[in-house]
Amino acid sequence: MLDQYEMESFFDEMMEDKEQPKPHYEHFYQMLRRFSIDNLHEKNETAQLSFLRKGITFTVYNDTVGTERTMPFDFVPIIIPSENWQRIEKGMKQRVKALNLFLEDIYRNQEIIKDGIIPGELVEQNPYYYRQQASGLDIPYQNHIFLAGIDLIRDEHGEYRVLEDNLRNPSGLSYVFQNRYVMRQVYPELFFEHAIETLEHQLSELHQALMAHVPANSTSPDNPCAVLLTPGSYNSAYYDHVFLAQQMGIELVEGRDLLVRDDVVYMKTIRGLKRVDIIYRRIDDDFLDPDAFDPKSVLGVRGLLNAYRKGNVAIVNGIGNGVADDKAMYAYVPDMIRYYLDEEPIIPNVETYFLRNEEQRTYVLDHLDELVVKNVGASGGYDMLIGPHAGKEEIAVFREKILEKPNQYIAQPTIKLSRAPAFQKGRFYPCHVDLRVFVMSGQESHVLPGGLSRVALKEGSLVVNSSQGGGGKDTWVLQKRGNGYA
Amino acid sequence: MLSRVADSLYWMARNLERSENNARVLDVQLINMLEANDREVLNRDWEEVLEITASLADYQVQYPNLKSEEIIHYVAFEPGNFNSLVNCMTYARENARATRDIIPEGVWEGLNRFYLELPAVRRNEFTIQEIQNFLNTITMTSMNAQGVIESTMTRGVPYSFIKIGKWLERAEKTARILNVICEKARKEKQGSVNHHYYWLAALRLVNGYDAYIKEYPPKMNAMHVLHFIIEEERFPRSIRYCVDHVMETIRKLEKGEIHHYSERLFHLLETIQQEVSDFNLEAMAMEELMGFLDHFQNRCIQVSRVFSETYYLIEPVEIK
Repeated sequence: MLDQYEMESFFDEMMEDKEQPKPHYEHFYQMLRRFSIDNLHEKNETAQLSFLRKGITFTVYNDTVGTERTMPFDFVPIIIPSENWQRIEKGMKQRVKALNLFLEDIYRNQEIIKDGIIPGELVEQNPYYYRQQASGLDIPYQNHIFLAGIDLIRDEHGEYRVLEDNLRNPSGLSYVFQNRYVMRQVYPELFFEHAIETLEHQLSELHQALMAHVPANSTSPDNPCAVLLTPGSYNSAYYDHVFLAQQMGIELVEGRDLLVRDDVVYMKTIRGLKRVDIIYRRIDDDFLDPDAFDPKSVLGVRGLLNAYRKGNVAIVNGIGNGVADDKAMYAYVPDMIRYYLDEEPIIPNVETYFLRNEEQRTYVLDHLDELVVKNVGASGGYDMLIGPHAGKEEIAVFREKILEKPNQYIAQPTIKLSRAPAFQKGRFYPCHVDLRVFVMSGQESHVLPGGLSRVALKEGSLVVNSSQGGGGKDTWVLQKRGNGYA
Repeated sequence: MLSRVADSLYWMARNLERSENNARVLDVQLINMLEANDREVLNRDWEEVLEITASLADYQVQYPNLKSEEIIHYVAFEPGNFNSLVNCMTYARENARATRDIIPEGVWEGLNRFYLELPAVRRNEFTIQEIQNFLNTITMTSMNAQGVIESTMTRGVPYSFIKIGKWLERAEKTARILNVICEKARKEKQGSVNHHYYWLAALRLVNGYDAYIKEYPPKMNAMHVLHFIIEEERFPRSIRYCVDHVMETIRKLEKGEIHHYSERLFHLLETIQQEVSDFNLEAMAMEELMGFLDHFQNRCIQVSRVFSETYYLIEPVEIK
């Protein structure tokens, strides 16, 4: 079945070599061999259609015309043995804890800058640093990061590394649940003989974490009113918003559904105004409040920031988190962990070159055809150079860009991202994968077991972002006992 | 519940009901067409279809002649026709999409499925069979959505808004259909064989023929038909039934109490109920009947406005 499968020099999640699966994939592999290719193909079609029918889509905008697309689903799951997972879980808690302490510090005394760990200008020049709006606030549990999405990759030795921190509005949580749902509907047989961590109570964990953010001046601290603020049904992540609001049993509101009166936030209901205590916003900082940020924003709510600053409403994730998750600050996270927690990072970073630094810049410019160059402010795989895959022209364009705005770019070695088999159009072939791990925090932190495995379905592609042809896979964390292959 | 959400639920239900009703009107005409042998009669039939499902005047601005294919296209697909079937179904789906966290999954999936299959429908050079299939799909989509709503939704606030939207839309459409048929009957001399055909058409257009012949002999007596469609309190598409159910639903929504903010709405609905129960068919000339139907259609528009104001579905004007 996998006889045409080429491993090459990459780390493969599933296969040891062409004939032999890794021990934790043994059961899955045996199960797979009982299906015919036709049967798998048919199931695959059923699974894709199920996403479309349910309208689990994101919107891609080209020339202002939006097309609703589904994220392609691949049924070969990423299976993680429990001992690997325990390490990831610890590493993620450690990282998010340090990042939160960093945010708390940066918006107060900035000790970390005074102690010379992080260059001050990296903070000052960061477009997402909102000193004026977010400084010196007493927010519930001093928690800035209600939901973090940390992107992990594995290198050619199978070592997990952090690729990116998403501390503003990480999306994709709904896909974790939908992937599992569709997987169970269409491929129930594959679950046999596996004891995996369930996702059943994860949404109640999320709800509990959200409800913990009761603002200081709430009039109903025992039963706070929480809402999810969405930009609306034309937003590319709208399904994510719908799903989370629905599953947590909170209202899904748009900016026009809210108003601020005497620094208190209300939502407009059929019975008049109702006071809102907690806002899980999925709108970026700049659009939150035209009085405090971009005056042209029509998505936001006038006066929201004042209500927040006065402790009348909680906004999660916190305002100004962008200062901690851009691609330049990323390189300092291991130092933050050492500085705030006095610990060594459990999950390492990918080595990063700063183009602001002359020595490193010279090295990078000499090795552009081997490196990955990223714009520190961009996301979604845009404005990115993948050296080994790029032509001379593209490399020349990036050389210009770097020379023009060295602060705007970082470079990383091209990691041989791990691969896993994907099944499309009737055959298995290797595709690069990464894993977004979700960390939810309220009174305490909790890591969702597994996460969203993203896969670059275009053969040879390294880009896993859904806006650029990436797909999703179910992620199984094996339970400690009955590992399935014991 | 959020006002915006309530508004979307209300309009989802109205657009779905409108699609289903207009699809039926077109479907009835496609069958009538087969037996029409007189060009003049056929044209008049098409004029009525346009009057009921859209606006004849708007149509005539665009098209000088009445041609079956053009009319079918206009009623079913025309993007510029606000009430075309594709437009109404798309609005219904958009409203469902904006309230996905409130409505049952099955309602959304049904409307979404219809939308996804739309590109496969030929909008030009279609066969009558294709159009009939398309109309049938709309009817089934609407019926399916109603079934899911009835069998799974808690009888709470969102359910009430959906039902009110449906009944108001239906009441208004029923009055409109009768009005058009009466106009036609008035132009004809009494006792003409066509009368039988008109009242039969009225029953078919409101989807009441099967229900009617269980109560009355299949001889189309104008009085019986009008009574059945206007006053029959057990027939779920009659004007009276719809009005009574809007009132009952609002009473439940307000837990039987009348507050300052809902006073106007209650008063208006009571007035309309009174008008419908004072209605005395025997004592009326055709002109009076048509006057009643016109008045009732205006009342429906009025209820929709007051209802929207009562529950803040319309942004109140800011007073400075």
